[in-house]
Amino acid sequence: MIWLAWKNSILRPARSLLIILSVAAILAEILVLEGFLAGSYTQLRQAVLRRGGDVMVSQAGVRNFLATRSILPQRTRAAVEAIPGVAKTHPLAALSMIYEQGARRAPTIVIVYDDGGGPEVFLSGQAPANNGEIAIDLSLAEKFGLGVGDRLTLSDYDFTVSGITSGESALFTPFAFINFDTLIDFYFESDVAADIAAFPLLSFLAVDAAPGTDPEALARRITAEVADAQAVLPRTLAYNDEKLGRDLLGPILNLLLGLSYAIGATAIGMFTFAAVRSRRKSLGVLRALGFTARAIVTGVVAEAVAAAAAAIPLGILIAAGLAALIEWVAPVYLVPVLEPRTLLQTALVAVVLAILGALAPLRMLMRLDPATAFRE
Amino acid sequence: MLNWTLRELLSAPQQLLASVAAVAGAFALVLFFEGIFAGESEQIVALIEKTEGDVWVMQKGVGNMHMATSFVADWKVGAVADVEGVEKATPILYLNSAIEAGGRSWFSFVVGLESDDPRAGPWSPAGGARMPPQGGAIVPDIFASDAGLALGDTVRIAGRDFAVAGFSSDTFSMANSITYVTMTDLADAMSSIGSVSYIMVDAAPGVAPDALAMRIMEQVEEVNALTRADFSARDYSIAVQMGLEIVWMMTLIGGVLAVLLTGFIVYSHISERERELAVMKALGFRNPAIYASNMLQALAIAALAFVLSVALMLAAVPLTEWLMPKVNLALTGSALVRTGATALVVSLIASAIPVRRVLSVDPATAFQR
Repeated sequence: MIWLAWKNSILRPARSLLIILSVAAILAEILVLEGFLAGSYTQLRQAVLRRGGDVMVSQAGVRNFLATRSILPQRTRAAVEAIPGVAKTHPLAALSMIYEQGARRAPTIVIVYDDGGGPEVFLSGQAPANNGEIAIDLSLAEKFGLGVGDRLTLSDYDFTVSGITSGESALFTPFAFINFDTLIDFYFESDVAADIAAFPLLSFLAVDAAPGTDPEALARRITAEVADAQAVLPRTLAYNDEKLGRDLLGPILNLLLGLSYAIGATAIGMFTFAAVRSRRKSLGVLRALGFTARAIVTGVVAEAVAAAAAAIPLGILIAAGLAALIEWVAPVYLVPVLEPRTLLQTALVAVVLAILGALAPLRMLMRLDPATAFRE
Repeated sequence: MLNWTLRELLSAPQQLLASVAAVAGAFALVLFFEGIFAGESEQIVALIEKTEGDVWVMQKGVGNMHMATSFVADWKVGAVADVEGVEKATPILYLNSAIEAGGRSWFSFVVGLESDDPRAGPWSPAGGARMPPQGGAIVPDIFASDAGLALGDTVRIAGRDFAVAGFSSDTFSMANSITYVTMTDLADAMSSIGSVSYIMVDAAPGVAPDALAMRIMEQVEEVNALTRADFSARDYSIAVQMGLEIVWMMTLIGGVLAVLLTGFIVYSHISERERELAVMKALGFRNPAIYASNMLQALAIAALAFVLSVALMLAAVPLTEWLMPKVNLALTGSALVRTGATALVVSLIASAIPVRRVLSVDPATAFQR
C-alpha cells in the first residue's frame, strides 16, 4: 500500500509538488513565528548580557533592565567599589526617547556608558568618543537612512552618528549609545527639563569581580552593604527581562501558532480529500482486489506523512530565507529559525498534522464500494 | 462556461469547504496579526483619548507619551493655567515601567495623580477606591484577575511596594496597562522633585484647541503643546509603525500560502476534468475561455475565503475579549483593504498555476477511449 502511495506521488509530480510546497509554506510560517518569539527572548537576554560585568547593580527593588526605571545615587559607585572582591565598576544609564524624521517615528532606548557596557559590534564607524556623538543600531540607521557622520536629533539635541552597531535592539526598539560627557551636555544644552534630578545619571553598575571572587557571593554582599541598591547576576536580570517578554508576547504568539496549526491540519485534510476523491476508481479497484479499508486508510495516511516529511526540509529552507529577508528589511527583529529544539518540535507537529489531516476523508474511504471499480 | 465553472466548484462540496477553510485560515492569520497590533495600538492611546483634556502640554522636543520621557518644571502648571483660554490645567506625573505582582510582570503606564483631582484618573472604576490613596495603586481589573490580586494585596512599581486600593476597567493592554498612584508617591519612586510629566489642559468654552496649543507654546517657555487629537495620533502612529514591517511580512507569508492552497484546488479541478476539457476544446471552446473559468474558480475560492476570514475575525473579537481578555484585537479598515487586495492577487496568481495543464489537453482525447 505504501509502495502504491509512493508510485502515485511520483506519477503526478505537479500535484505532489504543490502539496509539498503548500505544507512547506505552512511549516515555514510556523517556524518564522516560533523564530520571532525565540528571537525576541534572545534580544531581551542579550540586552543585559552584552553590557558585561559579573554582577549588575540596580536601584533597590528594580528587577529588570529594560522597561523599567532605575536610578542609583552617585555615591553608590564609590560604595560598591569599596567592597572587597570588586575589581571595577562600569556605570550605565538608560533613557527612553522617540526619534522623529518627518512623519515617521521610532522609539529608541539610549544607553549611556563609560568604559564598559557599550556595543560590541560596529558595522561601520566607531564608538562615540567625542561630545555629541552617538552610535546607533543598524535597524534605526536602515529605517531612517542614517549613516556615519549624519545628524540625529533627539529632544531638540543634535547628535552626530559616530558608528553603526549590530544586534542592539529588543522589543521592536533599537538602541543607541552615548557616553556620559554627551549625556551631561544633552541635559544642559537641550530643553530637557529644569529639574535635572528627575533624569537618570546612573541607572546600573556593571561590576567586574576580582579574580577568585564568587559573583553570587559578591552580589549578596553588595545588596547587604550598599544602601538603596541591589545586586544580581546579569543572567538573573536577563531572565527577568525574558520573563517580561514571555508575559507580553507569549499569549499573542501562541494564539497565532494555534491558528497556524489549525490551518496546517485543514490544508493537509484538503489535500488528502482531493487525492482520495480523484482516485476513487483506482481505490475501488484495490478494494475489489481484496485490500481492506484499513489498508487503504494506512496508505493514504502514509502518503500524507510522506508529503509532510518531504516538506520539512523545504519548509526549513523557506523559513531560513524568510527570516533572512525579515532581518534584512527590518534589522530590529531577530528571527532564529534553525534552533534544533524548534526544528524538531515543528517536524513532529508536521507529522501529527499530516496524520490528522489524512483522516479527513476517513468516512469516504471506509465506505468505498469495490463496485466503483467497474463503473464508468 | 459559467455554468460549468460553478458546477465544477460545487461538485465536491466537502473539498470546496476544506479549501475555503484553509485559505480563510491563511487570511485570518494576517488579519489576526494586524488585528493584535491595531488592538494594542488603540489601547495604547486610551489614556489620552478617554481623559478629557483638550490640549496636552509636555517638555519641549517631546511629542509622545508611549515610550517617551517628559519632564516639565512644576511652576509651569501655573503658567499654563494663566494662559488666556485655559479653563483648567491638570498635571500628571508619568512613568513607563514594568509592574510586578503574583510572580508576573507587566508593562505599564504608571500615572501619578494629584489626590484632589479625579479628572485624569480612571474613567471606568471597577471596584475599590476611585482615586489612589497614599501608598496605594489603582490597577486594571484584567491585570488583577490574571495576577490573582485582591484589595490590599501588593504590587511592585519602580522598586516600591504599593497596596492595591482599587480596580479600573478599560485600562489593560499587553503593551501598556494603566496603573494609577498618587503624584507624591510616584515622584518619590522616580526621585523627581519639582517636576510633572504632562499637563492636561481644558479649553474655555469657545476656545479652539489648536489655537490654544499655539498660544501656550508662545507664552510658556520650553514646552510643547498638542491638541488631544494630534497627541493621540502621534502615539497611535508610533505603535503602528513599530509593527509595520512584521505585519507586511505576515501578509506576504499568508498571501503565498493562500496562493499555493488556491492554486492546488484549481489545479486539482483541472486535472480531474481533463476529459471534459478535451470535449470542450473539441466543441470549440478556446484556451482563454478555460483560463477565465480557472480565474473565476480561484476568485470564488479567494472571495469566499476572504469573507469567511472576516467573519472569523468578527467572531474572534468578542470571543477573544471573553476568553483572553488580555489580548486586544481590532479589525481595521486598512487590514480589510490589504487582505482583500491580497485575496484578489492570490486568485490571479493561483489561476495561472494550471495553465500548462490546460494547454496540454488535446481535443482529440475526447474521441479516444
